[in-house]
Amino acid sequence: MVMVYLLAVVLAATRMGLRSAIMTAFLSVVAFDVFFVPPRFSLRVSDTEYLITFLALFVVGVVISTLVARIQEKVEQIRSQEARTSSLFYLTRDLTAAADVPAVVAALGRAVHRHFESSLAVMLNKDGNPERVEGETCVPGDPSCEEIARWVLKSGRRAGAGASAFSESPYAFIPIKSVGGVEGVMVLENGGISRNEDLQLLEAFAGQAAMAVERVHLSRQAEEARILREKTHLEQALLNSISHDLRTPLVTISGVLDSMLADEKDYDARQKRAMILAASEEASRLNRFVSSLLDMTRLEAGALSPRLMLCEVEEVVGCAVAAIRSRLGANSIVTDVEPCLPPVSVDLALLTQALVNLLDNALKFSPPSADIGLSARLDGSRVVMEVTDCGPGVPPGEEKRIFDKFHRVKVPEATGGTGLGLSIAKGIIDAHKGVITASNRSQGGLMVKISLPAEPAGSEEDCL
Amino acid sequence: MNSDNASRILIVDDEYAVRRFLQTILEKEFHLHLAEDGHAALAAAATTKPEVILLDLGLPDLDGIEVIRRIREWSEVPIIVLSVREREYDKVAALDAGADDYLTKPFGVSELKARIRAALRRSLHETPEPVFVSGDLVVDLTDRRVTSRGREIALTPTEYELLRLLVTHADKVMTHSQILKQIWGATYLEQPQVLRVNICNLRRKIEVNPSDPRHIFTEPGVGYRLRTCP
Repeated sequence: MVMVYLLAVVLAATRMGLRSAIMTAFLSVVAFDVFFVPPRFSLRVSDTEYLITFLALFVVGVVISTLVARIQEKVEQIRSQEARTSSLFYLTRDLTAAADVPAVVAALGRAVHRHFESSLAVMLNKDGNPERVEGETCVPGDPSCEEIARWVLKSGRRAGAGASAFSESPYAFIPIKSVGGVEGVMVLENGGISRNEDLQLLEAFAGQAAMAVERVHLSRQAEEARILREKTHLEQALLNSISHDLRTPLVTISGVLDSMLADEKDYDARQKRAMILAASEEASRLNRFVSSLLDMTRLEAGALSPRLMLCEVEEVVGCAVAAIRSRLGANSIVTDVEPCLPPVSVDLALLTQALVNLLDNALKFSPPSADIGLSARLDGSRVVMEVTDCGPGVPPGEEKRIFDKFHRVKVPEATGGTGLGLSIAKGIIDAHKGVITASNRSQGGLMVKISLPAEPAGSEEDCL
Repeated sequence: MNSDNASRILIVDDEYAVRRFLQTILEKEFHLHLAEDGHAALAAAATTKPEVILLDLGLPDLDGIEVIRRIREWSEVPIIVLSVREREYDKVAALDAGADDYLTKPFGVSELKARIRAALRRSLHETPEPVFVSGDLVVDLTDRRVTSRGREIALTPTEYELLRLLVTHADKVMTHSQILKQIWGATYLEQPQVLRVNICNLRRKIEVNPSDPRHIFTEPGVGYRLRTCP
């Protein structure tokens, strides 16, 4: 009988908590008295010894229920502890993957939502002023929030609901603190977040987020430093290249002039002519290099905006061939322009320049008296022009890099280029929204291909 | 050294080195006058009556374009611009202001001399030859006949007018607006397409290979030049 009584007390303690268990113990004692202790169906007791039994029973019931309730509470505590730990774990995992500040904020928002089912807004510290992070939904619009956020940023202490400062606000403001200072403020609706553990958890969240934000900042600084280093390196390389290309022709020019001035009599007419020819060639090379540098500078300054006009493809080809004819020597250019091509909308001067640069490049790498091809055809709605040569081509993997500034393909024979021609051509084609690519031909040599959008032919066009 | 009938040339450049260089290469053939800025150039143009003016655009006091305009107010003397400005915009501005030719510095000596001679030739022959011959191209201006490689070519009236204009200004750059204004009238200035299409058709009729022309050359972004070849 006593066992049944104790069972009821234990059940009540596990299911309903300490207070109900004590109540059950008391009621059980009363029930025992009424139903089992003579005189039955009465609270009266015939033997006073029973009173001691009642007391003992009651005490045992209370003790048991207290113990059970305490275990219950512990279980509850452990469960919520575990929930917090796993929330923190998930947050840490998310933050590790976050590469930028918005990703950090999003991970934080997810963690808060998972644990508290309340939405979160984050304001970041922008020189002491709170700055909202894009994509947030619940940041309250009223100015008092900003004021509180600013106070939190400055003081680094909690504010709003559940805190001593600004406790009238319906939102809780939790600082995101790192070693370097306050990175931002978490703002969340106070959805029953008053318990100490919850606040601790939020602060732990904030700590994790602060570390993540700091890490993002640091890695960005490292990236910036790396870019700066590379840029300095590149500029140094450019400077070296430019000074080399400017000085080298001057060696010949001033050398020839000096020797003519100093000991003209020592040379016969043939020698003089050879020297002067060399100086003259170097002078034109210098001039070409300066023009290239100017073109490049204009291209980079954005001053080279194409003035587009409809042009016949054959006119473009003709201009380019005419411009380079004086430098051809024993090589010749074989043009192959498909008849009746639609016009292209281009800046004729710029496109000519681009083609001349391509032809110049082909010429530089062509064996003596080899042909250089310049063809144009229609490919769908685009006009495709190809410059082909019989030179050494491009080493595999460098097809894109040959358009880089000052990039020179390493070939045994020095060709004395500037390394600018192709990159200028690419700059011009890019400005025309065209595509330029280079590849090796199956029969050897390089092919540079330009593709430009063709204009629909107007009614005025009549192909002869 | 200068014979009395040598042509008078006025050289305008603010750089002493350039003036000295031009003087060295030209003084054997021509009678030279030098000016180092715009105002001196205008004064010298009035007093020395040059037959050709070589003009730098970047002058310290007046812009070269302004110098051209002022000279054109009273004189048709050929002006050849020698400038470091190589952009089409500058060339068009100088040519439209009335310059006859444009050479970008640095230039070849033989090229400069050829341009000077061409300018002198044009100013001497006020009335052009009735029959223009250049290589395989023959244009008979009196009876409007055009033959190429011995075959007679049928041209539309506009194409003929265009060819005639280029022939009468042979070896000289004609800017787009100059051609448009003279053949189609000022209202067509904003429609360069009509010129482009006609040039294209003209080339297809008179050139052996229209994509490698020997007669009508395009000066990209500037205009067209009909070259005389022997």
